[in-house]
Amino acid sequence: MLAKNTQHKALHWLGRQLFNRNDPEAFFDPLLERINPMWVQEYTPARVEQVLSETRDTKTLVLKPARRWSGFGAGQHVNICIEVDGIRRNRTFSLSSSPLLWQEEGLVTLTIKRLPGGLVTNWIHDHLQTGAVIGLGEAFGDFQIPEPAQPVLFIAGGSGITPVLSQLETMAAQDYRAPVTLLYFVRTRDDVIAREKLLALEARYSALTLNIIATNESKEPRYLRDRDLDAVPGIKARQVYLCGPKGLMDLAQNLLYQRGFAEEDVHSTFFSVGKADLGNETLGGEVQFEGSQLEVGSQGDASLLEIAEAAGLTPRYGCRMGICHQCSCRKTTGTVINRLTGQASGPGEETVQLCISVPRGPVSLDL
Amino acid sequence: MKKMTETQLAELETDLNTIRDEVLADLGERDARYIRRMVRLHRSLEAGGRIMMPFGFIPPVFVAATATLGIAKILENMEIGHNVMHGQYDWMNDPSLHSQTYEWDTVCTGDSWRRTHNYEHHTYTNIIGKDRDYGYAVLRLTDDEPWKPWHALQFINYILLSVFFQWGVGLHELETEKLRSREISWREKLPFLKEFARKGGRQAFKDYVFFPLVTFPVAPIVLAGNVGANLIRNLWSSTVIFCGHFTQDAETFTEEECEGESKGHWYLRQLTGSSNFTGGRWLHILSGHLSYQVEHHVFPDLPAHRYPEISGKVQAVCRKHGIHYNTGSFAKQYGTVVKRVLRYSLPEKLMGMARAA
Repeated sequence: MLAKNTQHKALHWLGRQLFNRNDPEAFFDPLLERINPMWVQEYTPARVEQVLSETRDTKTLVLKPARRWSGFGAGQHVNICIEVDGIRRNRTFSLSSSPLLWQEEGLVTLTIKRLPGGLVTNWIHDHLQTGAVIGLGEAFGDFQIPEPAQPVLFIAGGSGITPVLSQLETMAAQDYRAPVTLLYFVRTRDDVIAREKLLALEARYSALTLNIIATNESKEPRYLRDRDLDAVPGIKARQVYLCGPKGLMDLAQNLLYQRGFAEEDVHSTFFSVGKADLGNETLGGEVQFEGSQLEVGSQGDASLLEIAEAAGLTPRYGCRMGICHQCSCRKTTGTVINRLTGQASGPGEETVQLCISVPRGPVSLDL
Repeated sequence: MKKMTETQLAELETDLNTIRDEVLADLGERDARYIRRMVRLHRSLEAGGRIMMPFGFIPPVFVAATATLGIAKILENMEIGHNVMHGQYDWMNDPSLHSQTYEWDTVCTGDSWRRTHNYEHHTYTNIIGKDRDYGYAVLRLTDDEPWKPWHALQFINYILLSVFFQWGVGLHELETEKLRSREISWREKLPFLKEFARKGGRQAFKDYVFFPLVTFPVAPIVLAGNVGANLIRNLWSSTVIFCGHFTQDAETFTEEECEGESKGHWYLRQLTGSSNFTGGRWLHILSGHLSYQVEHHVFPDLPAHRYPEISGKVQAVCRKHGIHYNTGSFAKQYGTVVKRVLRYSLPEKLMGMARAA
């Protein structure tokens, strides 16, 4: 192992000398891509094996990643990279299949809802076809099932069901020995994603209680209420997992905390870009881009990435929501606020994510 | 330089911005396809050249291998590296084609190039005393620079600079002229020298040690071929670059006339300080479209393969404002460069006497 590692390191060093890049293995990608797009080295290529329609605005992509992909745990997310009109776009989605499917058949699924005005989701719905190859990053995220088994409550809304599907499949396959309840909120009955799969799971996995609630079928919207939680047996002892639109997540968190739930027993995963309440912070400041010899003032909660782009710079970026670290950059001085958590950075030199860092006072960047 | 009022300059700025905005709005698939095609061509040529080289003991194969590798290096330096590092393809968000991280197949480090070329040369174009690319502190190409006796032999320097061009460009940031005048100290240049040694060592190791060694029995042939390929690239890139700013009608500027200048004035300086040459499609590609030096200097961050398409519009703007659009055949433009190098090797007085006689 060590020998292999040393050999690998030596080869990598040699590659850097010969090809002048830190990822020398990707040097011949432009040619390999033409011969077989699954040979590309820069990212993990994944072939679209099937495109399934879930609802009128949701599709499931069945993907076959190259074997070197490291796999994932149920409930994790992955960045995908797709080129739309010459521009590479990175987006994060939850894996909706069980890790078993990857281990046994080398397949994973992503379940993707068409977002109004969404560039990438619309492109996927309209143009992505079986046989195409897209880029896949490594899986990440800590929205994972408790081990050993504890009673679990999932509260999901809309396409927030996707990581939960992966978890339920996994739990059913390993016969997870604890009560599991899913409260699944959808606009109308027609918007239920993976209905067959859910019903099949309920039928074969006796620990699962499934409760699908349509919010917009009656005159008054029917949101999550305290009685829904009362109806969950032994709710106090449950680990709660939330995934859905912000309104649902906030509502659920309030109801749970009122019941005396501790923060560490309520797990939530991102769904849309969360924004911490930065209301009473004075934000903005002079941003100095040292590499470009530019200084730009900003006001309000504009991120460093937005400020840089407004100044005509083109830093590298990815998800623009604080996930993928493509835009990470050295901050030499100054304090920034993390837009997602509301936390302030230290004043010294450190790496920051441009897309979620908001300056508080003057900031200097190595950009 | 042609005198224009601030109002006229503002109009010039608007006219050129319109051309730029049209291209920016149209960037997409076509540009991505173009640059990827160039990258594929480069990879094929590089692999082809390296694979053929050990068989160079057959003379025609030697010529083919050396030429293939030389052209690969030209394509990578001129059409890919130079243009990518200008940020022409940053909008694609492809990490392999990003200006700030790209490293090219030549001695000069990407970082040093981004400082001396993208920033210094493109900002202070042809301002004597500020644009160190003007004569590279080796050649006297204008009477604005005082004549010194060693200028008399500058044609030899010009030949040497062309032959060792990649090393000259690599050492450009050393600012030897300022070291000699003790304006700066060697200590200040230590970080630069380290980077230079690292990249220069890497390039020399690759072409002059590694590839000859792995083909040991024919090492001298591979070494000779690699030297040849680098030489081809050096001569070609130096020639193209000299045609960009040192032709007969390319103007120079003083620091005073550019102090606090407007964007319109900067545009005017780019238009009058640069020169194009004409030729076929492949001549343009192998020059990295620096044959459209005027368009490149006005819009350094637009994808270079767009320059031929917008050239007509730029010429129309020049006509409208009465600005000379400097172009001519490659031979004609290069002829005036050689003349310029020779002419300014003699002091102004002497040239004046010659003319009077």
